[in-house]
Amino acid sequence: MSCHFEEDLTAYVDGELPAARREQVASHLGGCTGCRATEALLRHTVARVAELPDFVPSVDTRRAVLAKLDALPMPWWERLRTLLRPAVLVPSAGLAVAVGLALVVVGPGPEAPEELEDPAVMELAANLELVEDYELLGLDSPEDLEVVASLHELEVAQ
Amino acid sequence: MCARGVRHGETVSTEARAVQRDGVRNFLRVTGLKSTVDVDSDAQAMLKVAAGDRRAFAWLFDRYHASVARFAFRFVGDRERAEELTQDIFVKLYRNAKAYQPTARFKTFLFRVATNHCLNEVRRGEYRVAHTSTEAPDGEETGGVEMAGPDGDRPDQALAGRELEQAVGDALRDMSDRERAAFTMCRFEGMAYRDIAEALEASESAVKSLIHRATLAVARRIEELQAGTVPARSRA
Repeated sequence: MSCHFEEDLTAYVDGELPAARREQVASHLGGCTGCRATEALLRHTVARVAELPDFVPSVDTRRAVLAKLDALPMPWWERLRTLLRPAVLVPSAGLAVAVGLALVVVGPGPEAPEELEDPAVMELAANLELVEDYELLGLDSPEDLEVVASLHELEVAQ
Repeated sequence: MCARGVRHGETVSTEARAVQRDGVRNFLRVTGLKSTVDVDSDAQAMLKVAAGDRRAFAWLFDRYHASVARFAFRFVGDRERAEELTQDIFVKLYRNAKAYQPTARFKTFLFRVATNHCLNEVRRGEYRVAHTSTEAPDGEETGGVEMAGPDGDRPDQALAGRELEQAVGDALRDMSDRERAAFTMCRFEGMAYRDIAEALEASESAVKSLIHRATLAVARRIEELQAGTVPARSRA
């Protein structure tokens, strides 16, 4: 199979050669037994491959793909477009205006307890659960709290 | 054009065919596209997908998923992996729909995505090319393939079919990735060399060589099978 036409034989069998080259190969085949044998082998192979059974994908594939699309995160421009829809934008703007007006009109008022303006109190309120734990353990002095905060260092020292 | 032209919907099951038919009918009704499904309607549908249209995506999926699954199956030789790859390829297609230019034929674009995905997965080592798993070890069929034609029911013909499948599978496994991709698109999808070249980002001349070498490799395996010289472990 060293004939220089051999490389073109599969394309010839597949009908993929330009007309001029096809003519050349066809006339060559008349006089070259080696290429004729290869051409027959290739035609036989193509015919056998066409007999192979088809792969039939599962009907669940469609459902799986659509579920994966549903699980995709929405791109930022899509989220922005969703937020800028009049159906969302108008009620949101209206609500924001109403809340703003209410804060201006009502405000904290003179009767509001002073502690609520202290950031430390707000911090305490946010960590009430932790404070309760300390009280439960009887850890109320600053020294006790210092020991608790440095427990990991004691463990390393041991 | 390669020898085996496959019409869309030709190989899918009855149930899948019904889903596909309904999908096409609904999509055409909703979008107002022409009922003659052609290349332009693929491009139009893909542009709609790029704009976020899920119906258009479902329509393209119904039209092409059997082709992609068939390609992936011949590429990795394993049913489950082929289905996973098919899912990934279509999700990738949806996510990158904006990259599609209507100047390229949709099927070529799709097969470029599919080829790149399969090549990357195989190179990453996650999927080793098997081509031995269409049957369970004890010879029990997994249902991964269906024998075509009434003659497939005859035991001797079924055995011959399994041996042929095995011989072609062995040849596919031993090919280079690009030979396997080109051969699969040509022989199982009936794609023209020009379109395969576009999908593989190669010249037509290179594709001609890839397909020639791959077809000769398969020919040798089939010859061995017919001569009874196939190693025992490879036979069904």
